[in-house]
Amino acid sequence: MIYFFDGSKEAFLCALARAFCDDEAILTSTNAQLSMGQQSIFVAADGARAAQIEQRLLGFDKNCMHDLDLLLRSGDAWRDAAALRYFKFLAEKKRPVRDMLSEEAVIAATECMRRVSYEVHRFHGFVRFLECASGALYAPISPNHDISDLLVPHFRARLPQCPFVIHDVKRKKAAVYDGAHTFVAPLARAEVALAADEKAWQSLWKNYYASVNIPSRERLKQMRGYMPVRYWKFMPEKQLSPSSPC
Amino acid sequence: MFDKQVFGVYNGGMISEEKLHILTECAKYDVSCSSSGSARKNAGGMGNGYIAGCCHSFTPDGRCISLLKILLSNDCVFDCKYCMSRRASDVPRATATPDEICELVVDFYKRNYIEGLFLSSAVHVSPNHTMEQLLLTVKKLRTEYNFHGYIHVKGIPKADPMYAFEAAKYADRMSYNIELPSEKSLKLLAPQKSRESLLVPMRALAKEKQIFKEEKRKGYFLPAGQTTQMIVGASPEPDGQILRLSQSLYRANGLKRVYFSSYTPVVQDSLLPSVPAAAIREHRLYQADWLLRFYGFSAEEIADEGENLSLELDPKCAWALKNMHLFPVEVNRAPLEVLLRVPGIGARSAYKIMQARRYTNLTFEDLKKMRVVLKRARHFLTAGGKFYGENRQEAVRGLLVAAEKPATAVQLSIFTGMTEAAQSALYGEL
Ligand code: SF4
Repeated sequence: MIYFFDGSKEAFLCALARAFCDDEAILTSTNAQLSMGQQSIFVAADGARAAQIEQRLLGFDKNCMHDLDLLLRSGDAWRDAAALRYFKFLAEKKRPVRDMLSEEAVIAATECMRRVSYEVHRFHGFVRFLECASGALYAPISPNHDISDLLVPHFRARLPQCPFVIHDVKRKKAAVYDGAHTFVAPLARAEVALAADEKAWQSLWKNYYASVNIPSRERLKQMRGYMPVRYWKFMPEKQLSPSSPC
Repeated sequence: MFDKQVFGVYNGGMISEEKLHILTECAKYDVSCSSSGSARKNAGGMGNGYIAGCCHSFTPDGRCISLLKILLSNDCVFDCKYCMSRRASDVPRATATPDEICELVVDFYKRNYIEGLFLSSAVHVSPNHTMEQLLLTVKKLRTEYNFHGYIHVKGIPKADPMYAFEAAKYADRMSYNIELPSEKSLKLLAPQKSRESLLVPMRALAKEKQIFKEEKRKGYFLPAGQTTQMIVGASPEPDGQILRLSQSLYRANGLKRVYFSSYTPVVQDSLLPSVPAAAIREHRLYQADWLLRFYGFSAEEIADEGENLSLELDPKCAWALKNMHLFPVEVNRAPLEVLLRVPGIGARSAYKIMQARRYTNLTFEDLKKMRVVLKRARHFLTAGGKFYGENRQEAVRGLLVAAEKPATAVQLSIFTGMTEAAQSALYGEL
């Protein structure tokens, strides 16, 4: 049986409950895996039922909802399968399984969560703010995983007096800090009036980027390994002239 | 909304493109770009420390940009043979004002280009004048520009120690570069510097930090400690000697990091080699350094004083081959410090093994599933009493060398510019 759910935590928990005794269960929030001839069912989010299941799971492992949150943020195709296996295993063992690192169910979920956390860490460095005429900062991003709001605490702690918007242009949503509160809002397109000297600072930054490089030790493969091309789109230092090799 | 005044008085004006280019072009050979080790809190204004360090970009040479690395001036009165800023060299000169630097840092930081500042300088006018300007800049940045991000300041040899003590109250990290691994080479190649002019302030700062801690004084004093750097391959000292020096800097002077920089000829001089040092040598030294700092090895175990490290094998493999009688060890029982000595098992694999074996008796199959790389480790491990390796030393040696090839090809000398967190991931499987 294929269990569809909408990707939310509540719907996942309800689907988990239905799929628990079904060894053939496939849980998915996309229709990519839909195979012919297999029966499918759409499991809607039921708040009360989800709360019950959450309580049971928390009884086994008080930190497991944190794991679920990370798993459901993943943009990897296999994340629903990994989440299902992990939580089934948890419910079977009735105790935290996080450290059972030789179990397949744990290995897959750990890897999936690691990839999300790693992208958060990377974006602490790779986010590029533009200064707006108002003095607020605006950063468009296009991450693999749904992490925009996870980035906010880091920047809020270091720029407490400065309002900023981190805009996930792929998911059309924005994580906002208005100088006092943080929230997430849908945002398709943003009109940004740049500060007068924004271009000049970008130009100095590109200049710096070019100056610190040691051309005789070129290692492009390595650069791309640490800073994959998919992240370059919003980095001023990677918007070079078309003739430039990297 | 966002008031520039919050971040202090802006009166320096934007630095010119040309000046920026000159002052960073000369700073780039300094290897350290790490922004780790400080958890400085935001106290109004802008910025804080990120204890693990953070890479903001990577340049085409594969190095990380974490800090804005810049010189206050490249106009030098010293004449170190290997340096392109030396007095005798004919290069464009520039000197920045403290405000130019401060504004650059604040505006780059705000846009998340950088994690902070690495401020260095040639010896401009005199050591005291230079150190005074460096101090003025970092003090301004902290107190007037209200900046709490990471600051690394280079110490200038032969300046009055009071400047360094004062700068240490504002900086997260300071470094005096040892430059060359022996006094003799230093005399020859950097005639105005001496071992003492570098070690004395290093020790004085370490002592001062100790007092600061003991008296529980308020504020900060170099929370991320001190580091140093030496050039490898410009002078004849063997690796064994370099590692002993590193070890004593860690043990006696409490240094956080010793960086190695492969010699690159930027200057023609009959006293200097005309070819760059092999990147693989620098790589091996970093691997050995890692064993010193995190794996409980001593320099004496890794190489004899007059010996160079094997270029063919990483230093842990080389050590294990010489100590075959200690292996194999049982993966389900060996204590952490023993697991860490197994070639191919790094900190991350060792951690996974320690956790997993609490729940089950690990087999080789389990290890594979857990992505513990067994290519090298299998010659030194048993799992549930089973052994799948070779035990003739010569055969093992051949297999280890073969296992080494792909890794070496991609990893040459990349360790230099990364944050320590990224490095640990890479070295994890040493
Ligand atoms: S002191 Fe020596 S190494 Fe430093 S800038 Fe001057 S000449 Fe170069």
